[in-house]
Amino acid sequence: MNPLPALNLLAQQGFPEPMTSPVLAHYLFVSAAMFVIGLIGFLTRRNLIIMFLCTELMFQAAGIALIAFSRYHLNHSGQTFVIFVLTVAAAEAAMALALVVLLFRKRESLSTEVWGEMKG
Amino acid sequence: MDLIINPYILYLGIALGAIGVCLALPRARVSPQAIGGILAAVAVGLILIGLGFRNQNHLPNLYFYVFSIVALGSALRVISHQRPVYAALYFILTILASSGLYLLLSAEFMAFALIIIYAGAILITYLFVIMLATQAPSEEDMDRLADYDAQSRDPVFATIVGFILLAALTTMLFRGSPSLARVQPQTGDALLAELPRRVENELRKADLWLEGDRFATAADGSPLIDSAHRTVSVVRRGEVVAIDMPEALHIRNVEALAFNLLNEHPGTIEIAGILLLMAMLGAVVLSRRQVQFDEDMKARQARKLAEAFAREGSAAR
Repeated sequence: MNPLPALNLLAQQGFPEPMTSPVLAHYLFVSAAMFVIGLIGFLTRRNLIIMFLCTELMFQAAGIALIAFSRYHLNHSGQTFVIFVLTVAAAEAAMALALVVLLFRKRESLSTEVWGEMKG
Repeated sequence: MDLIINPYILYLGIALGAIGVCLALPRARVSPQAIGGILAAVAVGLILIGLGFRNQNHLPNLYFYVFSIVALGSALRVISHQRPVYAALYFILTILASSGLYLLLSAEFMAFALIIIYAGAILITYLFVIMLATQAPSEEDMDRLADYDAQSRDPVFATIVGFILLAALTTMLFRGSPSLARVQPQTGDALLAELPRRVENELRKADLWLEGDRFATAADGSPLIDSAHRTVSVVRRGEVVAIDMPEALHIRNVEALAFNLLNEHPGTIEIAGILLLMAMLGAVVLSRRQVQFDEDMKARQARKLAEAFAREGSAAR
């Protein structure tokens, strides 16, 4: 006997079936937790590359929230916006990594503290 | 208003998660990373079980739990692993798990696009840069970590700030989500009315479309395609006939997504194109200095060669 009544083992069939809001809340919790993990990583890590990886993590969390809302409202605009999130992430990765390589060539280090004099 | 989870469980879970993440962050001396990871996993489990317990009739798919735990666990490993290469590899795992979540949310196209673009392109760039921009370790201490990788900056403070944000976010989400507008069930094929050529092709394939047929049109000129009753009205030899749609005729995720993209957000595509162009130009400009140097070298070399030739020529004469 299935102890949890609505636990369906197979993937949800078909887009038209509406999703209930508690199910949406599950996905939003995962998205929020992933965003916060990315944020903490951005604040604590001192390696430039890892900091950019953490921003990608936050993008990813936003993407999950967008897709979950798109599924809830049965509207494809959320998925369309994930395409643009991917575009921005790709552009950001290209620029940021080019900058990181340049900075590394100047100081031979990836530490953020090395560039501390730029603050203020 | 009520939360959709027992608030004690929620805040206990968030506090446990904060302690876990704080312990898992890298430290200079021996750090209890494993204990931190276990605590964070217990916290996520606690919150998910708490959520499921209150809403036993509205549980997500079982695979949701698998994918979300893999995604969050490897996300924690991205920020807690001391070696950047492993952090990037764990990020790939996060991407795979969240594309699994996309699949559960019936966004098939985006799930595979995510794997292709993120895991296939962006992460490979990251790996290249990690390999380009690390000092070669000396022979005797291969395992030595750079100081900035081994230690994190203010882990306690950052974790507290982050988890206060998480507490605020989850309180808001769990309080607000029941009041979201209930969505009426609709047939996903409503889009078929906008795509008469697609319907026609499918009818032709099923041999339901005879030569000389055309769609019967409503007063405003739109074709009469009734996706709710799955019938199409066709003018055949002067009479209007209703044809049942073939079973195979459904709007797929890619079609709906493409229709939405081109129909409702055409300007955004242009902006995305300009953004990508600018990023490409920027990357070229940033990495150009090295090339310029080479050009100078080449010019100097060419001048030297030309002078040598001229000298030889004058000597021969």
